[in-house]
Amino acid sequence: MKLNHNFDDSNKLPAANAFQAIGNRLFQGIIVFIIFILLGFVFSALANIVWKGLSGFVQSIASPEIQFAIRLSLFTSITSTLICIAFALPVAYGLERFRIPGRRLINVVLDIPLSLPPLVSGVALLLLLGTTGFGAALAEHGLSFVFSVNGIILAQFFIIIPYMIRILKSTIADINPRLEFVARTLGCSQWQAFYKITLPLAKNGIIAGLVISWARAIGEFGCALMVAGATRMVTETLPVALYLNMSIGNLEMAMASATCLIIISIISLFIFEMVGVRQIPASRIN
Amino acid sequence: MINLCNVSKHLGEFSLKNINLSINDNEYFVILGPTGTGKTVILEIIAGMYKPDQGEVWINERNVTAQYPEQRHIGFVYQDYMLFPHLDVEENILFALKLKKTPPKIMKQKLEQMTDLLNIKALIKRYPATLSGGEQQRTALARALVAEPEVLLLDEPLSALDPRSKELFQQELKNIHQQIKTTTIHITHDFNEALVLADRLGIMCNGEIVQVGSPEEVFQKPQSQFVAEFVGMENIYTGEIIEKAEGKYVRIASLYLSVRSKLQGKVRVAIRSEDIIIARERFSSSAQNTVNARIAAIIPRGAFIKVILDAGITMVAMVTRQAVDELKLEPGQEVWAVFKTTAVHVF
Repeated sequence: MKLNHNFDDSNKLPAANAFQAIGNRLFQGIIVFIIFILLGFVFSALANIVWKGLSGFVQSIASPEIQFAIRLSLFTSITSTLICIAFALPVAYGLERFRIPGRRLINVVLDIPLSLPPLVSGVALLLLLGTTGFGAALAEHGLSFVFSVNGIILAQFFIIIPYMIRILKSTIADINPRLEFVARTLGCSQWQAFYKITLPLAKNGIIAGLVISWARAIGEFGCALMVAGATRMVTETLPVALYLNMSIGNLEMAMASATCLIIISIISLFIFEMVGVRQIPASRIN
Repeated sequence: MINLCNVSKHLGEFSLKNINLSINDNEYFVILGPTGTGKTVILEIIAGMYKPDQGEVWINERNVTAQYPEQRHIGFVYQDYMLFPHLDVEENILFALKLKKTPPKIMKQKLEQMTDLLNIKALIKRYPATLSGGEQQRTALARALVAEPEVLLLDEPLSALDPRSKELFQQELKNIHQQIKTTTIHITHDFNEALVLADRLGIMCNGEIVQVGSPEEVFQKPQSQFVAEFVGMENIYTGEIIEKAEGKYVRIASLYLSVRSKLQGKVRVAIRSEDIIIARERFSSSAQNTVNARIAAIIPRGAFIKVILDAGITMVAMVTRQAVDELKLEPGQEVWAVFKTTAVHVF
């Protein structure tokens, strides 16, 4: 069909002039240029380290030190992530669904570690566990954190818990509470309604939370450094191995650690995108 | 039997004030009111999602005010169905029975019975996201009914359906109710829906139940201006009852209309627009009011035509297209508006 409006000539808008057309081209060009500059910068930084690290990678990764760091990193990050979900799920559910007095204040306090420099979090934990009766009491019962592997786990937990809570809260907020209510009219107790309805519907959010938190935990350095120190072959996680080898000028080992961390990040980002894209808020189906 | 005694609830922008309702066994009760008047909150209080600030809820001689939803034996169908999206139709329907650890044989029987009743046999392996609105509706109803609830609560169950499915499903709801006879409370803002379905209905306005009665009663004898307007009455006036030797009249401005009522003094007067007949010649009978009027405007309204009359007061008459053609009605003409004494409602 032809669009043919017979407007009077005098009503015509002035045609876009050549100057405007050039202006638009320029605007688009600058935006694309900026995108490519940033992309080139990020990509070359990462590619460079991976490229150079790969030559000595096989050799370095076979060394007992890197092997130890990989094992310790996996152990601490998986442990801290699992402890984290055990806390974050009830906290997120409670803050989203119960009318707890002072809910907003609780939210703010729990979010503080998110904006704190990790070093400050580390000092805070160190002082709580190292100089107070609370820390001493824990140590007496066999739970010592200062300068130990436990300290790494605790530091990672402290850093990642606000992320996990945030992700789970938004996941639960997306699930209509009326679904649980309907389940209860059908005979579910509060726990059953949570377990049979909300939990399965939150599955994607929980997976996303686990992946993001785990990736952050494995890269955690500043806070763990304060609490657990950087002792070779004792509290040497991958970031610590990177730091120690860098400081003694062992560039090859440093780059091998960095390459391990980059690979882990890319994999986790990939998983997150896969889960994230398929996540349909359950309450908005209909 | 469901009783709400003095139930009050304040909830954000909604508030319920002193709700007193009593719904009989096997009754289909419709709560009718405009959106945003707290109708859903009543259902959620009966079902136990909220505790009332004041008052009590009784279901079949049990005071359930302090009970959890799972203890109340209630079936609930929301406007947007709230099917469990991670379960297929069969799992949705059998949800309540699985919780009770019902033997598989009985579950199978029940599933058969429900899918037959609601005509969804072909859908049982589908997930809610793949169903149409009507199909979701049926599934939600099956899920609520399978547990044999003492009360079925329906929150605007038809409002998300297209007009045609809506009409079909109205009939079906009625048939289903006649078969299973579960006491039902149905909420809607659609008066026609209430007319079709309700044994009795209650009209809600601003968190209060303002009138309860059979659909005919509410339709014919609204007790307040709000109800009169809500059931579609267009001619509502302020008047005064005057007693004369030959009978009772209500005076509206300079107009005297004969009326039957026990009321005295100042009253509101309502006349349904479809009760008014327009005639070119005067014909009088004792049971009728005849008013001289001038046609102010003629407005087509689909199958009917709305004639605005000026009789000292403005009156609206709804007449058929055919009548307008036959009487050759035109704006400016002098005509007679005729309506029965019983068509004049005062309150």
